[in-house]
Amino acid sequence: MNTSTELPHNETPAHAERHRPRKFASWHEHHGWSAGASLRRLMSRPLGTLLTVAVMGLALALPLAFYLLLGNVQKMGDALGQNQTVSAFLKSGQTGSAAELIATKLRDRADVAAVAVKTPQQGLDELAKMQGFGGALHALDDNPLPYVLDVLPKPGLAANEVEQLVTDLRAIQGIDLVQDSGTWRQRLDALLGVGKRTAMVLAALLTLAALLVVGNTIRMDISSRSEEIDVLMLVGASRAFVRRPYLYAGIWYGLFSGLLAALLAVLVELALAEPVSRLGSAYEGRLQIGGLPLWLLIAVPFAAAVLGWLGARLVSAWQLRKAA
Amino acid sequence: MIRFEQVSKRYEGGHEALSQLSFHVAPGEMAFVTGHSGAGKSTLLKLLGLIERPSHGLIALDGQSLAKVGRAGIPKLRRRIGMVFQDHRLLMDRTVYANVELPLVIGGIAPAERGRRARAALEKVGLLAYERQLPASLSAGERQRVGIARAIVAKPTLLIADEPTGNLDPQLAVEIMELFAEFQQVGTTVLIASHDLPLIKRMKKRVVVLDHGRLVADIAAQEVL
Repeated sequence: MNTSTELPHNETPAHAERHRPRKFASWHEHHGWSAGASLRRLMSRPLGTLLTVAVMGLALALPLAFYLLLGNVQKMGDALGQNQTVSAFLKSGQTGSAAELIATKLRDRADVAAVAVKTPQQGLDELAKMQGFGGALHALDDNPLPYVLDVLPKPGLAANEVEQLVTDLRAIQGIDLVQDSGTWRQRLDALLGVGKRTAMVLAALLTLAALLVVGNTIRMDISSRSEEIDVLMLVGASRAFVRRPYLYAGIWYGLFSGLLAALLAVLVELALAEPVSRLGSAYEGRLQIGGLPLWLLIAVPFAAAVLGWLGARLVSAWQLRKAA
Repeated sequence: MIRFEQVSKRYEGGHEALSQLSFHVAPGEMAFVTGHSGAGKSTLLKLLGLIERPSHGLIALDGQSLAKVGRAGIPKLRRRIGMVFQDHRLLMDRTVYANVELPLVIGGIAPAERGRRARAALEKVGLLAYERQLPASLSAGERQRVGIARAIVAKPTLLIADEPTGNLDPQLAVEIMELFAEFQQVGTTVLIASHDLPLIKRMKKRVVVLDHGRLVADIAAQEVL
């Protein structure tokens, strides 16, 4: 053993030297070290890391897939419900002037956006354009169709307001039949409401599951390194110092699983793109089906990183309290 | 430096490890705590390192009562104490250098200064050439010297060691003890728990003898035969 070396004891004790600027620099330095060391630790056991990330990623991807599905069903409903008119068939024998009179009165209503008067001839022409009806119409001696009023309710009307309009139309003298195809929309809205609530509950449960997965992984990591933690604490490490690498591990797990979830959601979107495009074509382009917004795809990995940090924070605080 | 006043420690289950223990160690003094297994040597050191808290009595370090050190203050206090363990407690997946550097990293010392001090500490214990090796490749005596280098690198005012030569052959044990004596000579207070009486006699330092948690003898250095 060398006794000629300068003895470290001749200098100022280390604890007395630590002043504020250096304290920040060392804090910053330790964050960098913790981020790198935790990443290397994750990479050193690829299978375990992959499984954890996969479970978390799938748990986070499911709510995203639901969000995508429900959003598109909503859009479909909106597109198909657009310009959804209420058709009022006038009694046979009603004249064009009578039809115009009723239309003028309806146009004055606050809940009506527009009224179009369709003559019997226009009705016949529409029928003639439809496949299979041409021959049958030629066989008719005269036009049996009545005047029809296409009443467009004001956009944004509630279902009960549309229902009131339909009731009022039925009460008008001269109107024989009112056809309201909005009922299916009401049902769709109700179903979407159930779907959205289910998706929210599912998202909350799956987020909790992801939190538990990362928490349990960090718990096992801390347990397997209890000796190292003991040593660190015995040589004067604070709990924050000991905890930091585990918090970064939680952040990495979250970030990677968030990226995986976003990737899976994009893959689901791509898988649906072709059949949805065909569906859109069938509706003459009226269906504009959308994907997940870019902001959401970017936000998911960051939100998942926060989730990972939270799981690691909760578990490490508990575990290290036991260790202390 | 160290003051114990009527200190008792009773563990859960009722076992009394220390009973009404009073003694003090002056700054820069080196003392051995000895006694049979279960005499309370390790408990005494655990109380100093705040690994355990006393059931009764007062323990003061540099005039500061340890009872007033809260949970948040424990790391700061431990940075003032260098601890050496029988089982050396090294981090086996880190190099010798990284193990020695650890207290300086925790203490927030700048990297360049860390390097200088860690190497000086390693040179002091004669292991500078091993700085890049893992502890697993070292002998028991070398590992213990790494543990000592780690304990002194942050220049603690107090060095405590629990059976530091327990696993070593007699020649190595003497070398380790002489190393502790050198640290005392430069002003560090040293308190060593050991049951190796021949070695303690050879060092000719103050000896505090415990039996069943009670102080039964306090022999001054000049009285050690």
